[in-house]
Amino acid sequence: MAFAVLSIPKRIYRTLANLRTGVVLLILVVIASALGTFVLQRPVTEPDKLQAAYSPQILRWLDRLTLTDIFHSWWFLSLLALVSLSIIFVSVERFPNSWRFYARPYRKTDSHFRAANPHKVEIPIRNADQGLNAAERALKKLRWPVERIVDNGEASLYSEKHRFSVMAVYLIHASLLLIFLGGIIDGVFGFSGFMSIPQGQQRNTIELKNGKMKQLPFSVRCNSAGQEDYADGSPKKWWSKLAVVDDGRETQTKEIVVNDPLVYHGLRFYQASYWIDGKKVDGLRIAYSGLDSKAIPLELRFNQPVNLDPETTVTLIEYMPDAFVRDGQVFKKSDSIENLAFALEVVDHANNSTAKVWLFPAEHNVVGAENVKFQFQNPTAAKDIDFSPVTGLEVSYEPGQWFVWAGCLLMGVGLFVAFYTVHMRIWAVELADAQGKLVLWIGGTSNKNKDRFEQKFSAVVAEIRNELDTNTPAARPLVQEKKERPELTMAGTK
Amino acid sequence: MSTRARVTQIEPPATTGGNALLVLVGLGVAFLLITALLGATKAGGSLFNESNLLYVALIFYAGAGALYMGFGVTGTAKYVKYASICTAIGFVANTLAVAHRWYLSGRPPFASIYEMLLSFVWTLALLTLIAEKKFGVKIIGSITMPLAVVCVILMQLLPSEVRPLVPALQSTWLHVHVTLAMLSYATCAVSFALAMMFLIKDDFSTDLFLAWTSTLVTGIYLGIVVTRFERWGGLSVTAWDAQNKTDVFLGRGVRLFVTIPDLGWLFVIALLGALTPLALYFLARARHDDSYLAVANKAVFVGILLQLVVLGAFVLRVRDSSYASPFQDGLYPTSLAASPFILGGMVAAIFASLLYLMLLWRRSDLQDLLPSGDTLDRVTYKTICIAFPLLTGMIATGAFWANRTWGSYWSWDPKETWAAITWLVYAGYLHMRVTRGWRGRRAAYFAILGFGVVIFTFLGVTYLLPGLHAYA
Repeated sequence: MAFAVLSIPKRIYRTLANLRTGVVLLILVVIASALGTFVLQRPVTEPDKLQAAYSPQILRWLDRLTLTDIFHSWWFLSLLALVSLSIIFVSVERFPNSWRFYARPYRKTDSHFRAANPHKVEIPIRNADQGLNAAERALKKLRWPVERIVDNGEASLYSEKHRFSVMAVYLIHASLLLIFLGGIIDGVFGFSGFMSIPQGQQRNTIELKNGKMKQLPFSVRCNSAGQEDYADGSPKKWWSKLAVVDDGRETQTKEIVVNDPLVYHGLRFYQASYWIDGKKVDGLRIAYSGLDSKAIPLELRFNQPVNLDPETTVTLIEYMPDAFVRDGQVFKKSDSIENLAFALEVVDHANNSTAKVWLFPAEHNVVGAENVKFQFQNPTAAKDIDFSPVTGLEVSYEPGQWFVWAGCLLMGVGLFVAFYTVHMRIWAVELADAQGKLVLWIGGTSNKNKDRFEQKFSAVVAEIRNELDTNTPAARPLVQEKKERPELTMAGTK
Repeated sequence: MSTRARVTQIEPPATTGGNALLVLVGLGVAFLLITALLGATKAGGSLFNESNLLYVALIFYAGAGALYMGFGVTGTAKYVKYASICTAIGFVANTLAVAHRWYLSGRPPFASIYEMLLSFVWTLALLTLIAEKKFGVKIIGSITMPLAVVCVILMQLLPSEVRPLVPALQSTWLHVHVTLAMLSYATCAVSFALAMMFLIKDDFSTDLFLAWTSTLVTGIYLGIVVTRFERWGGLSVTAWDAQNKTDVFLGRGVRLFVTIPDLGWLFVIALLGALTPLALYFLARARHDDSYLAVANKAVFVGILLQLVVLGAFVLRVRDSSYASPFQDGLYPTSLAASPFILGGMVAAIFASLLYLMLLWRRSDLQDLLPSGDTLDRVTYKTICIAFPLLTGMIATGAFWANRTWGSYWSWDPKETWAAITWLVYAGYLHMRVTRGWRGRRAAYFAILGFGVVIFTFLGVTYLLPGLHAYA
């Protein structure tokens, strides 16, 4: 029984290392993912939309079967884990063979191999070494790297190109695992959420996707934010000028736009949205008139005094979104934009007197201007009020993304090598044919793109024939051959 | 190889060496060009604007399609040569249309489904010409050109004005991502056409082609009838806002439908017309009697006539008419532009049926024109070897871009998920081929399946499933 128990892990390994299992797993992944695109998914759908789409009973069942959040369900993740294991095991199973093939290339042919080889040619030659020499010259001429192999006194030629091509498949599978690894790291350590910062303020909490709040060890301040429109009114650009405040010091500033985030300690802050909530005002464009009652435009920024004449200054000091007047006093009513009120502080430095003037644009009312020698008019249009904008930032921390990008690059390289480089081999050996005559046997193989290789092989053969015809005068005496020898070994060791 | 006796065939029309069709197509092309020219001059403005150029491309692609079909019916090899010339001229016009749009908008045309189709058709025509010239697959255009025509017709109906880019699309990665997408999709389309060619060359039995063609046509009409058939025989189509040139919306994403009376019945009849050959095919299978197949082939012919009638009725009744809506009071105008996919589906169904007839009548001629099955199989594999890295690049650049825009490189959005599924299907093809030695038939089926998934990813996801990838 112990034997059976021991074999269980082995059996699991065997099953997962089987390509067929891998294919079944991939089919399951495909089916599950397709299902995940047809059933509305909770993380990306508003709850009321889900309730509108499915009846409560069906929704309950979908939830129970985790079909409303397939891509984060335990079974889908396990499926992906099994796929990863399958990739690893299949590779482990096949790698030793490939490595042997890669590390110890098959340099010298035997008769069985020669018989089975698909591309081969036999050219009759007159004497020993003449064929090999011609083949060596021809291959060199066509820029094939040549090796002369001498084994048991028997010489042959071996030439190959792009041997690494056979290992590309492991590169591709490794890159896939690297991408998965990145995904796992981000699933465990990563987070993403949202933070909104009104202009001029700083925040250090983000609201995570699951509704929890997370404190950052530093703050982000929004110096300013804005929107630009196309002529037809559709938004063209949102931007925010952000500053990172770490330990009370401003450590980084950047103007971010939609496709260009701010990165700080691996956290990325994306421009996600932009809006105006009306809770704060930055400036105001109004008009005032003096004794001559001529209206003069006046632009005010919050808390920045403006001189009306040498001894009088006016400052925008207060804003209320919803205010009311009772007994000459102004009170705040609520935070929603109902009845705007702006307070101007008018200081007469000659008399050393200060007055607080309230403007109520909705009611066309001015309160508290009785003792002021200037008259203030309400802003007339919405564009005269510079509401303070709020910028919405998507925040994410994805330490695993670098594995993902590395994986993508690696996969690009792997696919290129796997598809567009061909491992080609050519052998040449002199032997006696069936009739006992001396021939030069040339054979070749490629691991893909056979028709292209056939052309290359034919070119090599043609060149060898050419070399045999032109560079070897007929019936050379043996003396000549001895003279050629050192030349050849030099070429061979090069 | 099928050992069964060949299907009893309808008598093919006599092979004439005549130039009748050539003259006819030439006249047709000339007529359409002159009408278009007159129309364009009357409307004023530049003659060489994008929509005119695209119209010229459409005319020539349709001419090419007609010539390929003509070759199918008459077996005149000369037609193929002229079809290829037509394709080339259409391609030039298409290129100019792309260039013009690019010049006007100052950015490559990749930002809406219309612009995507524009680039897709361009790539498809280019690859068709390459496959013809370089690999000698002469009649690949008989599949890719009808596809191009359907796409251009769809484009005539989709909103085509140059819209400014929303902030998320303002990125260099848009161009890289979409270029890769278009290249890979068009390469997949070519691999699909090659796989079909392989099946033709490989003596894939004609009656199976009959079954699959009928299934496709039935599927299209079933889809229309199931989603659009109204009680009392009407057909519901989207109401059209003629002023703003958009569909009428009741709420966010909810279209207003109007009902065209009686048209629904016609679609049901066409559906029955498509079902008949399928039923006859199964009858022949069940009773082992091939005489049913002869009837089935005649039924395909009748089916095409029915489809033409339905298409005509649909076009006439939808164009510039007004109908009542069950959801809101009043009459609402309709337009062909509001039902691009019904129209596209109907045209595709007619093309598929015609291709089948061409196969039925001229199979041996087609086979003679094609390179060997081995070559076709290998070229299919090669195109997928090109498509797969492109697909990988498309997904990777899409993820990179999403990361820069939405803060996450993978969010299981339907478009993303389906792109991954497409990738897995082609990965499956490659594994089966390399490690299991799948060749020929099985590999061809896989390539066809792959393209089916591509079509769904490209068009189906955009129109059927919700998601972030809303622009295309």
